[in-house]
Amino acid sequence: MPIGNVQPSVRPVSSGRTDADPVAAEATGRHRGTRPRRSRGGARAERFAPYVLVAPAILIIVVLRLYPLLLGVNFSFTGDGERNGTVVGIDNYLELLDDSLFRTALGNVGLLVLLLPVAVAIPGLLATFIYLRVPGHRFYRSVYFFPAVLSPVIVGAIFNLLLAFDGPVNAVLGAVGIGPVDWLGDPDVAMFVVVGVHIWATFGMALVVFLAGFATLDSALLDAARVDGASLLQVIRHVIIPGLSRTIAFVAVTTMVGMLTSMFGLLYVMTSGGPEGSTYLPEYYIWIQQGQMNRPALASAASTVLFVIMLVVGLLQVKLLRRAGGED
Amino acid sequence: MKQRALWSAVLVVGLATAGCGSASDTGSSSGGSTDKLVVWDWKSGEPSAKAYIEKAKADFSAKHPDVTVEFVAQPFDQYYTLLGAAIQSGKGPDVMLFNGGGQIRDRVDALVPLDDYVAEDKQRLAGWDAFTKDGKTYAGPVTLQGHPIYYNKDLYAKAGLDPASPATTWDKFLADCAAIGKVGAKCFALGNKEGAGIQFWLSALGSGVLTAQEYDDWIAGKRDWNSPNVKRVFQLWKDAGDAGLNNDGANSTAMFNDAFALFQSAKAAHVIGLMSDVGHWKDFNEFLTPDKLGVMSAPVVTAGTTPSLAYDGGIGYAVAKWTSDPKLAADLVRSLTSTEALQAFYAEAGAIASDTTIDVSQAGPAAATIVGQLKGGKPALHVALSSKTLDLMGRVSQQLLSGSISVDEAVKQLAASDQAG
Repeated sequence: MPIGNVQPSVRPVSSGRTDADPVAAEATGRHRGTRPRRSRGGARAERFAPYVLVAPAILIIVVLRLYPLLLGVNFSFTGDGERNGTVVGIDNYLELLDDSLFRTALGNVGLLVLLLPVAVAIPGLLATFIYLRVPGHRFYRSVYFFPAVLSPVIVGAIFNLLLAFDGPVNAVLGAVGIGPVDWLGDPDVAMFVVVGVHIWATFGMALVVFLAGFATLDSALLDAARVDGASLLQVIRHVIIPGLSRTIAFVAVTTMVGMLTSMFGLLYVMTSGGPEGSTYLPEYYIWIQQGQMNRPALASAASTVLFVIMLVVGLLQVKLLRRAGGED
Repeated sequence: MKQRALWSAVLVVGLATAGCGSASDTGSSSGGSTDKLVVWDWKSGEPSAKAYIEKAKADFSAKHPDVTVEFVAQPFDQYYTLLGAAIQSGKGPDVMLFNGGGQIRDRVDALVPLDDYVAEDKQRLAGWDAFTKDGKTYAGPVTLQGHPIYYNKDLYAKAGLDPASPATTWDKFLADCAAIGKVGAKCFALGNKEGAGIQFWLSALGSGVLTAQEYDDWIAGKRDWNSPNVKRVFQLWKDAGDAGLNNDGANSTAMFNDAFALFQSAKAAHVIGLMSDVGHWKDFNEFLTPDKLGVMSAPVVTAGTTPSLAYDGGIGYAVAKWTSDPKLAADLVRSLTSTEALQAFYAEAGAIASDTTIDVSQAGPAAATIVGQLKGGKPALHVALSSKTLDLMGRVSQQLLSGSISVDEAVKQLAASDQAG
């Protein structure tokens, strides 16, 4: 942790500087009174110096992050509407458990975790192809990145048009004799469609990270594998994946965070949580309860649950990153 | 070093003081001084509302020349979220715009009852019920919002039907729809992506299904979800979907504005639309031309019922309880609902205004039919439901269309939600 490191490194430097600058020490001493008291005071100031130096950072975290967090948790134990401000214990949490919509939202979080390997594999594979210089790789490199610069609202609007029941995608399917699919109106399909669009819209960033990872890969290993007659699959399995383990872990972490925190815009534009409530995620649920249902305390309870989930996922991922880092 | 310690201490104290406060504190009152009123709405930024706002401002400044009024147009998507935050902190605008029904009833704790201030307007304006809770009025209605059934006279003629006399019974209506289907158009343009289609359905057709007694009881809060007629409304919804009366993919079609576009492009013969704002006679007039747009009454499903137009106060201005002078703010609400201002709103935005004295004969036969039906109209059924039940109703309506739930189960869930909230 940074705090542990700060203390030893700061103290010698700062005390050394004061010692080496007797003029300055004297100058301050002249205002403060007698010499012995001054040096004792100076020593005390130096003892507190590290705390003072880290104080701004800690204070910002405590006051602007932890304190509001505690307020929110505290607020989640109060009531809404007529019971505004009164303590209701865990009523809000019981209501959440009882709400099938919130359970759907949590189930969808589980689905996102299950789909994570796909979301990591797609940019990984495409980056591999670019790295192996398939024909037109320069063109693909820029094209793949293009969706990453579009806002989720624009992406959502584009796919709303494409995936409309009487839209072009169904027209193409119809032309080859496959019946139309109600992409955004079928509860069994809609969530996968939204996740798919999210992956499409964001994989460019992961692709760039992968390409940066490839830059560190020892090409001699690849050449050696080729000389030994390894197939493409064997090269990927035995050379590229082990060589990129840290990059893969990093992409997995950032993709997971992205899926859990930034799908609101897409959901809002593409499905509004529907059809039949099948595409709810916790953050959308929180927004609905706070903004549409006027239930801020219930929304706080849902936020607290989401926070705990993110905490667990985050800690697991930090562990994963550490382990991947340790492999080297 | 001392200097830094001092600054840090200042920072600590400063941040700690700034951080003090409680999330559930609604008691503190703030809001404006007496020489300035702040209004929040989502209308004043629109070009079509410009004349309306100007007239209202002029009316108000004639009465209170020394008070300035500031309109803050919020994005509608975020409006109730922002308002919720303002209410939670007990600070915010003095006057604010609300949708009638659940949106205002859920928030009356933060509002001032206006009955004493607007007594003179009660006769002139219609639509008060949507802004009333427990016998107290919380906002002055600006527009009326309701759910007429619009039909395309051109498609009727093509299908060999008489455009001047649309069906008055459900059986005849289904027969007409079959004829319309033969000329390649759907019966209903339906957008149920947001789950709003069922609300329009319930309110537009309800008066032909529920008996007068059931209707009034429903509005009064005594809703009998086990009544066969209530179930019939949802059964008809499901039957219409199963019979292919709606456009394909209704659950993924946005009502605003994909469903209305289907009606405007003559791909469907009927649409349950609105009276004001969007999806209304003025929009349809532009595409279909006024003489091809008709408004019909709900077909009679249950013998002995008298169909009526479902409408309520659409939007209205309310006064926040933290305002320093409620009388002054209520005066602004009265200016915002003055005949002159509402006349401008009707003319520019095409809204059916709450003022029943406005002449609409220039606006075409559809608007004239709607205004003619206002006298016998009743509050819309869905407006009486809480936002929570409406949200649930949107979801079960999608399930009914996709066939993943039975009508009995749907009504049971709705009854539980309605009785809980």
